[in-house]
Amino acid sequence: MRRARIVGLGIALILATAGCMPQPGTVEGRDISALYTGFLIAAAVVAAVVLVPLTWSIVRHRRGRDPSLPTQHRGNLRLEIAWTIVPALLVAGLFVGTLVVLGRVDRPDAAAPTQIDVTAFRWGWSFRYPATGLVQSGVGDPGPEVVVPIGTPIRLTLTSNDVIHSFYVPLFLFKRDLNPGRENVVEFTVDQAGTYRGQCAEYCGFQHYRMPFTVRAVSQTEFASWLASTTAAQAGGATSVR
Amino acid sequence: MAVLERTADAIPQPGLLVWLTSVDHKRIGKLYLTSAFVFFLFGGMLAQSIRLELAVPGLQLTDAEGYAQLFTMHGTIMMLLFATPAAAGLANYFLPLQIGAADMAFPRLNALSFWLFLLGALVVLSGYAAVGGPADIGWTGYVPNAEKTYSTTAGTDLWLIGMALMGFASILGSVNFITTVLTSRAPGMSMFRVPIFTWNVLVMSVLILFSFPVLTGALIMLLADRRFGATFFMPAEGGDPILWQHLFWFFGHPEVYVVILPFFGVISEIIPVFSRKPLFGYRFVIFATILIGAYSFSVWAHHMFVTGVVSLPFFSIATFIIAVPTGIKFFNWVATMWRGRLSFETPMLWAVGFLFIFLFGGITGVILGSPPIDFAFHDTYYVVAHLHNVLIGGTVFAFFGAMYFWFPKLTGRRLSERLGRIHFGAWLAGFVLTFLPQYQLGADGMPRRYADYPNDPTWVVLNQLSTAGALLLAVGTLPFIAAVVLALRHPPDQPADPWEANSLEWATTSPPPEHNFRTIPPIRSERPVFDARMAAAAARAAAVDDGEIPGP
Repeated sequence: MRRARIVGLGIALILATAGCMPQPGTVEGRDISALYTGFLIAAAVVAAVVLVPLTWSIVRHRRGRDPSLPTQHRGNLRLEIAWTIVPALLVAGLFVGTLVVLGRVDRPDAAAPTQIDVTAFRWGWSFRYPATGLVQSGVGDPGPEVVVPIGTPIRLTLTSNDVIHSFYVPLFLFKRDLNPGRENVVEFTVDQAGTYRGQCAEYCGFQHYRMPFTVRAVSQTEFASWLASTTAAQAGGATSVR
Repeated sequence: MAVLERTADAIPQPGLLVWLTSVDHKRIGKLYLTSAFVFFLFGGMLAQSIRLELAVPGLQLTDAEGYAQLFTMHGTIMMLLFATPAAAGLANYFLPLQIGAADMAFPRLNALSFWLFLLGALVVLSGYAAVGGPADIGWTGYVPNAEKTYSTTAGTDLWLIGMALMGFASILGSVNFITTVLTSRAPGMSMFRVPIFTWNVLVMSVLILFSFPVLTGALIMLLADRRFGATFFMPAEGGDPILWQHLFWFFGHPEVYVVILPFFGVISEIIPVFSRKPLFGYRFVIFATILIGAYSFSVWAHHMFVTGVVSLPFFSIATFIIAVPTGIKFFNWVATMWRGRLSFETPMLWAVGFLFIFLFGGITGVILGSPPIDFAFHDTYYVVAHLHNVLIGGTVFAFFGAMYFWFPKLTGRRLSERLGRIHFGAWLAGFVLTFLPQYQLGADGMPRRYADYPNDPTWVVLNQLSTAGALLLAVGTLPFIAAVVLALRHPPDQPADPWEANSLEWATTSPPPEHNFRTIPPIRSERPVFDARMAAAAARAAAVDDGEIPGP
């Protein structure tokens, strides 16, 4: 049992360090990360409330050589009420936190300045900028690169050509499914320039694990010139092919 | 004594034909438990293959197709060929004993349930003989990926047919359990004297009755899509893939409670016996069980938070609320141990291990019930870690606890304490080592169902820790098998009540005779065997006082 106690304590310790979210790259990601921290604190309190008396009981209430029967407590109404009401209040608090963050991270705005239509397919991605008609598309590894401006909302319209896929950028702490025959609209604001690995998160067939993409977040001026020059190059390229 | 011996002689040694034709709930229970455990070993080997494949980046053991078949069959086998029939096996054997019945209400239907289950299981497994291999669509079978266009193997059709057969078997079994509890209880056993394990089986059966028909319908719809030109789930022809997810999870979430409630019941039986106290708040534990069962029908769409088509607040609060009755159970278990006289034979080790590990599975379940957090963790290894946390730390730990606890009743023999402690230690350490790294992998963004992953040093180390833990779980199962084999080599030697337990199954011989009971003690509480023991002790003490028999 000593081993069980040590391992039990180990679980608590490792959980305190395992399952940590990475540093998010979006405004929404920071809200989600803060919410998760709040949940972890509540989790630690709950774990302590259960594990401290449990461990105490294991250590102090062993049978040993005492053959007598302990007091046969059959229950206690006040305790039952307490451990119904208090957890109910706790989950109500967690729900309020959830609602607040949900309102901030899941409210796409039709007027967002940068709009991108995302279509997933087996096994790749197509990112289309309706402002200029530019399409960034690719299959397999490393997949296409989608460039976005920082500090301004980006609105994605998500759909699929075949099966269900899921748009997932781990450092945005966010994913949303791309359903065939439907459109999902999501919005986020990147506030850290850099490149972010993205990938499909919904099992979509054998090459599911090989459909990554890259999000490159740059300043707004850099984005504007990239969009103009890449659109022009693509149009020119298309012309030259024709 | 002479009577007992003569009866034992009169029972023929069970040959193969006896096992094939028996309608005795105890034989059928053993058939369920044995087949479930064999399937558990097979599903475990598939898990080992998955972990070995992921031990280093790159594809070594198998290819992408093979990997899809591995995780599909692993999930299907563990949920529907192991956990569900393991619960049915325990319920079959112990539910009639716990309520003082001679058998199930419908013994022949009971036999039909088992053989239908086995047929369904073998149909699912026969996919291994199909040209394209077994099903490759994940155990959740999401469409359109599971449609014929994308999953071409006949193994997927066999999966659909076998699953439907097993679902039908479960429905028949649940009708039988419900009828037996409602109609076959011994005189004096009011509903609030029914043992807590049986109460959990009753609620589990109601869940099966309402959820499995939905699965069966969905399976037939998909089969019609694949084979008969229907378009239920094909968006281009006006079908709706999201419908599948609603139907699947309307079954799938109650199913999670189907494979945990009976095991909550096991824990609620073991803890009082080894604490020498009655279950604290017996009625509240029953109410909590009923509430969990009822709520389990209102949370299915928390599996669909990232689809973009479900009400996030509703399914979030419904999910959070389930934590309250689950918490009631937890607090009552701890209160049962509080100021008890605890001893730590192997059943209690598994029960306490369950409390420590399941707690974290419950907590991460609440965390995932918050949609914004689920946006980050959905379909990553965080979810994989969470579900194994509740299904191994919950179902499997309690299953092994039940085996050590009830083995004397099942066979008249006791499993080795020494081997049992090794088994428990290996599983506790193996669980922590396998699944804690997976929480971190998930938070770090590794999606589930990936045959391969980028060569990132952190991911490699975390995957290797997880693989090492999985090997420990595999090796750690050997002491259990050894303990069973060793125990069965000796003749039965266990008394009726080796643990000084509470409920009625301990009032009859180990193993029980054909129709279970020759006499049933008076039932005036939920602990008739405890009451009888106390009455006998009081009578002995009175006799000593009267000088009728010499004192110790």
